[in-house]
Amino acid sequence: MLLKGSKSLMMLALVMVLILSACSGTKDTPAAADKPGETKAEPPKDEPVTLRVFSTFGGTDAGRAAFQKVLDHFTAKHPNVTIDNDVMSANDNGFRTKVNTDMNSGNEPDLLFYFVGADAEGFVKAGKVIPMNELLDADAEWKNGFKPDALKLVQQKDGNIYAIPLTGFYEGLFVNKAIFEKHQLELPTDWARLKTAVKTLASKGITPISAPFDQSHYLIENSILSAAGPEGHHKGLLNGIDPNWGKGLAGLKELYDLGAFPKDAATIDLNMAMNYYSEGLSAMIIEGSWAINSMSEQVRNTTTVLPFPAISGGVGSGKDIIGGFSTGFYMAKKTYEDTKKKDAAVALLKHLTSPESIKIIAESNGGTPAANVEVTGLPQVALDGFKMAADAPTINAPIDTQVSQETFTTIRENIQPVLKGSKTPEQALEEAKKVEENNKK
Amino acid sequence: MKGDKKYIFLFLLPAAIMMTTFVYYPFFKSFYLSFFRTTGFFDKKYVGLDNYERLFSDGLLGAATLHTLEIMLYVIIFQVGLALVLAVMVDSIRWGKTFFRTVFFFPIVISGAAISLLFVLIYNFQFGLLNGALESLGFDKVLWLSENSALKSVAIPTVWHYVGFYFILFLTAMSKIPSDFYEAAKLEGITGIKKTLYLTIPLILSDIKVVLTLAITGTLKVFDFVWILTRGQNQTEVLGTYMYKKALIDLNFGYGSTIAVYIVAFGVILSIVTNRLLKKEEITY
Repeated sequence: MLLKGSKSLMMLALVMVLILSACSGTKDTPAAADKPGETKAEPPKDEPVTLRVFSTFGGTDAGRAAFQKVLDHFTAKHPNVTIDNDVMSANDNGFRTKVNTDMNSGNEPDLLFYFVGADAEGFVKAGKVIPMNELLDADAEWKNGFKPDALKLVQQKDGNIYAIPLTGFYEGLFVNKAIFEKHQLELPTDWARLKTAVKTLASKGITPISAPFDQSHYLIENSILSAAGPEGHHKGLLNGIDPNWGKGLAGLKELYDLGAFPKDAATIDLNMAMNYYSEGLSAMIIEGSWAINSMSEQVRNTTTVLPFPAISGGVGSGKDIIGGFSTGFYMAKKTYEDTKKKDAAVALLKHLTSPESIKIIAESNGGTPAANVEVTGLPQVALDGFKMAADAPTINAPIDTQVSQETFTTIRENIQPVLKGSKTPEQALEEAKKVEENNKK
Repeated sequence: MKGDKKYIFLFLLPAAIMMTTFVYYPFFKSFYLSFFRTTGFFDKKYVGLDNYERLFSDGLLGAATLHTLEIMLYVIIFQVGLALVLAVMVDSIRWGKTFFRTVFFFPIVISGAAISLLFVLIYNFQFGLLNGALESLGFDKVLWLSENSALKSVAIPTVWHYVGFYFILFLTAMSKIPSDFYEAAKLEGITGIKKTLYLTIPLILSDIKVVLTLAITGTLKVFDFVWILTRGQNQTEVLGTYMYKKALIDLNFGYGSTIAVYIVAFGVILSIVTNRLLKKEEITY
């Protein structure tokens, strides 16, 4: 019996070994055909390739289904390509860690959808991704499909383009017009009107502006821009603190004292803040263009978007906005140098960033398309947003792309103390400045 | 004997490899990183003891330590205490033991993140379960996660989640007590609360010690409840969330690692102190 048992075990092991070697055999054969001298020769068309595409078109992202559709279009045309659609939600910071770990541990995705600027500097400098300039120049049709501005905005500091943009974004003050009409309020187009609206709404038991204190990115970016203007906004903290930054935070405190923010603003996150707005519990929210699709249809239909008004005493115009093209597709150097993957990956990149694909994505996430396409079927608020962006004298990259993450966190952590009055805006910014200096030492 | 040693070594090897890879290597790597200033993954610079200097002057870390200690207090009193009370009660009933054991153990099976999300909906100010109930009874809404009460509110699910685990440990310990002890007690006329206080608890003291050590060191790992319920706002930052923020949001792995080293040192000191305080000779039946 025992002998029989061990015999069958051995048979099983043998079968496993055979299966395994058969599997690796099929994979190895085409590689063996790729002799070093013949790399330029066309690889067989039906050679199976698996490409991993990492993006944030996942979770509750408005573009999730559209992105999958675009990928499906590609695999329908290229049945030999299998796409591993690796996604993570952009709602939290987890995906940054994931991307950085992958890039640092030799596990680069073939195509990566990620931020440009400070966020990407590490892996760009480390040579993990390829500059796209030559690829773009070699394919005029592809290159001419983009708005020149969009390609300019995704340049890294060294002047090269590493990421090909899909859609851009803008941030603004989203306003539920229905609530304003009901309470006979004027839209908050300037600081005085915003204050009146906040006062009136708060007295009627409606949360004026839905915003979390911890994830206060948009509050900070917009208030500082509207107090310091584009120039002051770009100064950063290393060469002294622009006094107008303090005015921006003081403006937020002014609103807080009038009862502008939810009672539980300290502990809610962005999702919950959006939830309050979407349910009609609050009249305004400071958000980005991507938020349009997370609103309930009823609220979306009565929503418009305005620039955050200029804070009185500051130097902002009240027309400048935060926005731009801050994300795009990177291609790993490893993939580009892999003769088996290169052509498929380049084809996929061109497909994902073609005007047709950009149109599909823009229609789903409400972002400004990077290509010259007419986006149809958008709700009125998205059109209002495009108009706001077109009318804006300047479109500015948010502060957190210009200072280190830790500095920005320090400002965020201080929002609650500043609003409650236990710290002055100047103290908060002084703290942030120290962190920034330590980070850039 | 010599042959035995070979097998002992052989069988311990896999565990040793796992421990080295997933516990000791990361720990020493963290220790190494704590001497660097890092910006993300690609940039690091040796800064000597700068991070440790910062550690000792960091007000936020001090606050996080205090919050952790406060949760620890709740855990010791309510988690371990409640588990002990429940175990004594379940141990003394005649029927339905299995039922109660399952019911009390059940929360352990649910992940902390799921329980936290549940409590987000219970505590929510606008449309939470508690405020909904209060409103329908004609009371004003209460801000459950306010600056004064947030830590206590977070402690409730934290405590509840693991009561069942210690409950089972106590129950198992009690079932090991030989029944002749109880028979003797019965003959002497010792019953009820006296039996529990003078017989059961002294006999499972070594298990109580283990549970206390587990509970205390476990509190240092609290993360999910705080992170999901309050994001560390309103005086609820604990060591776990603070380390996460520094390392993975600010991408300052150097300082994050320093905090990690601090947490380990803090944990070791705490468990030594606990063992000292509870030192008593072991009981063998």
